[in-house]
Amino acid sequence: MRTKLVDYIASHALFQPDKLALICQGQKLTYKELYNEISSYVLKLKAQGIAAGQTYLFKFHADVSCVVTYFALHQIGAIAVPLEKSLPDEKIGEYESRISNHGPFDETGLADILFTTGTTGQSKGVMISHDTILADAENLMIAQGFTSETVFLICGPLNHIGSLSKFYPTFMAGGTVMIIDGFKNQEDFYQALDYPSCKLATFLVPSSIRLLLLFSKDRLSQYKDKIDFIETGAAAISHADMMALCSILPHTRLYNTYASTETGIISTYNFNDGHCIPGCLGKPMKNSNIIITEKGTIACSGRTLMSGYVDLDMEVSRIGENVLVTSDLGYLDEDGMLHLTGREDDVINVGGLKVEPSEVEDVAMAIPGIKDCICIAVPHPIVGNTLKLLAVLEEGVELDKRKWARFLVKKLESYKVPLLYEQVDAIKRTFNGKLDRKAYRIKKERL
Amino acid sequence: MKERIRFLLEDALPLVDFDTDFLFSELDSLGIASILMILSEEYHITLDGKDATPRNFKSLDSLVSMVQKKMSDNK
Repeated sequence: MRTKLVDYIASHALFQPDKLALICQGQKLTYKELYNEISSYVLKLKAQGIAAGQTYLFKFHADVSCVVTYFALHQIGAIAVPLEKSLPDEKIGEYESRISNHGPFDETGLADILFTTGTTGQSKGVMISHDTILADAENLMIAQGFTSETVFLICGPLNHIGSLSKFYPTFMAGGTVMIIDGFKNQEDFYQALDYPSCKLATFLVPSSIRLLLLFSKDRLSQYKDKIDFIETGAAAISHADMMALCSILPHTRLYNTYASTETGIISTYNFNDGHCIPGCLGKPMKNSNIIITEKGTIACSGRTLMSGYVDLDMEVSRIGENVLVTSDLGYLDEDGMLHLTGREDDVINVGGLKVEPSEVEDVAMAIPGIKDCICIAVPHPIVGNTLKLLAVLEEGVELDKRKWARFLVKKLESYKVPLLYEQVDAIKRTFNGKLDRKAYRIKKERL
Repeated sequence: MKERIRFLLEDALPLVDFDTDFLFSELDSLGIASILMILSEEYHITLDGKDATPRNFKSLDSLVSMVQKKMSDNK
């Protein structure tokens, strides 16, 4: 019985050993070769003392060895903790300590701990089980039509659910995963699309779609008969970009998906259906259910939910035992399709990556000369939102944005470091002294 | 021109070291896109994804060369 994703790789290695499983950094591995690599690495990890139930932290670079490490850990029964490749060492130490504070992991069948942004200024360690991974895989396979012919191109960070979750249906179906190192070189992206397959698929966050539309629209249109489907998600895509993509790629299925690390992959909508409904995220998939709470927030249930947070005292908003309540606001239309309308909390979405502003402010307050500060979102032509730090300075101190940015990046992931800085006389606060974030949101809307 | 480009880019991308000869590897996709947009706007030239090569983005000097070439192509 196959209870883990790696069991599917083992099965494909047996029944279709010469089928290509992985293309990455010039290397091509068949299922047989990939499974052999995983099996060899299992022995090495065991020799290092890694055993079932233990955690193993590693930076997930876009290379074969990291993919092999990930699945070897699963094979052993250990818990993979893939980290962002630019994560500062200080953060790694913090994560290690939080994991060790958890004590032995009794949760059933844990596969991964994924660190994501929390709403309390601290990244959340989300525990994911093997069953959740298989449920996500099945959801995507059925809803988006992954097959053994699918060649799925991953160009995003592999510690993030948006990219990592594409391993799930592709390897379950016996397809091919192709990985390129990021999206900054569009030439790499197009070279990958030149791969001889008519079942190419990829995941692009809305800001990557924006980049393609801005800088290589004509070139993208040359692939209109080649790209089987594109999935987007992690942030809201503008209706103008949805329409532009439909026009450039008229035969490609284009999915807008609702998912998060905590809820798993919940719903998806092919907006190239002739209607291109703005903000629509489709119907719940096979293993998921959606309800809207009285407050208007989206709540999810089903096998794709996380097992919990690694910090035992971190609050999980639930209804009963099995329904997880998110901070996303939305509604279900008369056809049962989900629509997203905003967020209930202060989290800022920067190109698909979520930033809790208080985490940035906590670090910024340690910069010498800053008396008070607030981190706000301002519109950006590519990523939708970018971060701006407004700061009140001590007398005689001057704003030095490059120095400040370099201070912040030592303690925060680079996407959490504001691009914009401004000196202000005072930070607006509410009557009880809390930062008046709503005042800055209103200001942003009026810009 | 070089100092003007440095000023514009350092202001837009405070984390990036523009004195390096490994500029391309320092940048992410947003950084590359920001540079293309800033230089297009400032010098009224057309830059697209094909211009974002490791060679053109090797250093501040190579960005200056790219702009100069585009400007002379426009004449």
